[in-house]
Amino acid sequence: MIALWYGILAFMLATYLVLDGRNFGVGILHWIVAKTPLERRQVIAALGPLWSWHEVWLVGTGGVMIMAFPRFMAAAFSGYYLALFLVLWCVLLRGLSIEVGGHVNDRLWEAFWDAVFFASNLLLAILFGAALGNAVRGVPLKGDGTFYLTFFTNFAVTGEVGLLDWFTLSVAIFFALVLTAHGATYLVMRTEGPVHDRARRMAHLLWMVTIPAFAIITMLIGRVRPELLREIPHRPLAWLPLAISLAGAIALVTGLRASREKQALWGSTFFLFGLIMTGAATLFPVLFFSTLNPAQQLTAADCAATEHGLWVATAWWFPSLLLALGYLVVVQRHYSGKVNVAKDNQGLY
Amino acid sequence: MDHSLADPALWHRIQFAFTITYHYLFPQLTMGLAWFLVYWKWRAFRTGDERYNRAARFWAKIFGLNFAVGVVTGIPMEFQFGTNWAGFSQYAGGIVGQTLAMEGMFAFFLESAFIGALIWGEKRLGPRLHFLAALGVATGSWLSGYFIIVTNAFMQHPVGHTVRPDGLLALGEVWTYLNNPWALVEFAHNQFAALVTGSFAVAAMGAYFTLRGTYAEQRKLYLHAGTLVGLIASVLVAFPTGDAQAKLVGRHQPATLAAMEGRFEGGQLAHLAVIGQPNVAERRLENPIVLPGALSFLAYGTFQSYVRGLNEFPQDQWPDNIELLYYSFHLMVTMGTVFIFLMAGATWKRWRGTLETSPGVLWLLLLAFPFPYIANTLGWMTAELGRQPWLIYGLFRTSEGYSKVVGAGDAVFTIIGFVGLYFVVGVMFLYLVGREIVHGPETPEGGVHP
Repeated sequence: MIALWYGILAFMLATYLVLDGRNFGVGILHWIVAKTPLERRQVIAALGPLWSWHEVWLVGTGGVMIMAFPRFMAAAFSGYYLALFLVLWCVLLRGLSIEVGGHVNDRLWEAFWDAVFFASNLLLAILFGAALGNAVRGVPLKGDGTFYLTFFTNFAVTGEVGLLDWFTLSVAIFFALVLTAHGATYLVMRTEGPVHDRARRMAHLLWMVTIPAFAIITMLIGRVRPELLREIPHRPLAWLPLAISLAGAIALVTGLRASREKQALWGSTFFLFGLIMTGAATLFPVLFFSTLNPAQQLTAADCAATEHGLWVATAWWFPSLLLALGYLVVVQRHYSGKVNVAKDNQGLY
Repeated sequence: MDHSLADPALWHRIQFAFTITYHYLFPQLTMGLAWFLVYWKWRAFRTGDERYNRAARFWAKIFGLNFAVGVVTGIPMEFQFGTNWAGFSQYAGGIVGQTLAMEGMFAFFLESAFIGALIWGEKRLGPRLHFLAALGVATGSWLSGYFIIVTNAFMQHPVGHTVRPDGLLALGEVWTYLNNPWALVEFAHNQFAALVTGSFAVAAMGAYFTLRGTYAEQRKLYLHAGTLVGLIASVLVAFPTGDAQAKLVGRHQPATLAAMEGRFEGGQLAHLAVIGQPNVAERRLENPIVLPGALSFLAYGTFQSYVRGLNEFPQDQWPDNIELLYYSFHLMVTMGTVFIFLMAGATWKRWRGTLETSPGVLWLLLLAFPFPYIANTLGWMTAELGRQPWLIYGLFRTSEGYSKVVGAGDAVFTIIGFVGLYFVVGVMFLYLVGREIVHGPETPEGGVHP
């Protein structure tokens, strides 16, 4: 039961990062691929009417976290206090920039919200990347299972660490890079005209840069937490997501080459999803490593709700997931293909 | 509880109170307005009458703005359980987490899938699916309300839980938890109150257009639906739901009832204070104007019923701000009573066919729309101040619940951030809604009104 819910939690977080991550990428790129106000409207309309459905995965992840691992939720959220509020404020500003940025047909209004859209998405990509880096590196976990992280201390990876150090910052930049590439791949599929062509060039360029960056990050993980990489061959559960990730990478590369735009997007989606799930499968059952004392850990079993509670949740969670996907299918059918600015314009009049 | 400004618990409470109060200004309108949209979309779909589509389109824009701000201010709420109330999350997450997770999975996915389609997708979806989108959003928003109210009801009147060997709470009986009698009453009371907010807004818009002499076609629809729903909802908020809620407080939180009424001495034939100022230090109600026996009757069914006073409870079980609780409750009740008379009068005039030519009533309808927001807020203040000093009534104190690792410095920092951000959001929201109202709905000629 505990393993199942660890898996569900990882699944929800990975799904969130993959779905909303592509919106982060679009946000980071939109000044580069869109040169005129109309093109910028095109980019924002390309996010589609379902961007808030993507965002709900974050809220759902939070809900599942408190339900299945209450002690983990309590320790993590209070420990990451300042970082989490930055995330929440960015989520707030990003949502507003999408919702109201197109409401007023005025150059300054649009320019302001475009800037907010860019900055909040960039910061979100970096913050979530740093969070993933933290999961690998560990936090200054004390004996009672709590910790408190400041933004930075001395940028070292052991002892009284902060949110950002040389390792988590590297992961954050890498993650922002990958999400930007992911967003570019999405824009290629959803747009046409000059935006499409620029997004295509960006996608090719960014994914090329990703290859050496990926090698560097793997090396860094090997230095900070060597046991993770050593663990993969012994973890059959990690092989499946690793295979998914690999298949995604292949689909991505061949899709980009042959201009099969949908295939490329599915490829990059599964590449990223598989990667995060592989990480989760190798971390299990650890939720937090301690940078103060290597023997200290917070594990899933330490934090889990009761067996009965998890059984009840299992009974409703799977049906609820099917419903959620059902709504997606119903709405998505009407929004497939290239975005149409005339039809999908969000200006009120 | 320590009441000094140096106590981190105070800042955690202020942050939660501020962010939840601000947040709830938006869902209370959307939960009420959603059913107006469903009704108009349904009428348009069945009859093909474009008037209803024009009404739905105009209100969908206002709905959309409220919904957007409701969503962005709502996300921080769930996360604050962990960031600011880690003690509570760890202690009770095993049970309240069930409904918080259900809310995300069952309600938010439903709402978020259809909200974009409802606001922007009429051309893409066609009339049938567009109606269903409105229905989906309305259902999702009420479901979300139910899950949150079950969570709150557990804090007011914990049922369905068990205690683990390590002292933390766990889920016991899931149906008992979900069907908490407190939750059913609280949900009904709260949802009718949301309908009051929605219907007062619709009626006020109708009154505004009538007084200005614009949009003859649309204002009739707004006045009709707004006053009728307004009357029904205002009555149901008071009776039976408000009455049932007060009886539950009387039975399960007797100290809270005493504090709500500023009642220090217990006794039979308990009076209901109409006006008066509680003097907590001297333990009496000053300048009281009272209805003798009314409290006994309302809380327990007979005039002879004994109602306990605060003196019968140890002081560490008193709500920690009796004054604010007392005024919140009394102002809420006063406003709720006025709402019934106002809407009854307006409905009467409309039935006689003279509402559109009664500027006095129209002015009242126009100026009344902010008051349901205040009454809703006061209702929640009554519930939450009344729950003190408990975070989970009888089980877990508020002073045990906040995040011990987060200092007052960090809490004040984030409060300042929220105040600044929400101020900007509020100004922007009012500007955008104002623009929509000035622009107005479409006219039958297809254009917009000059």
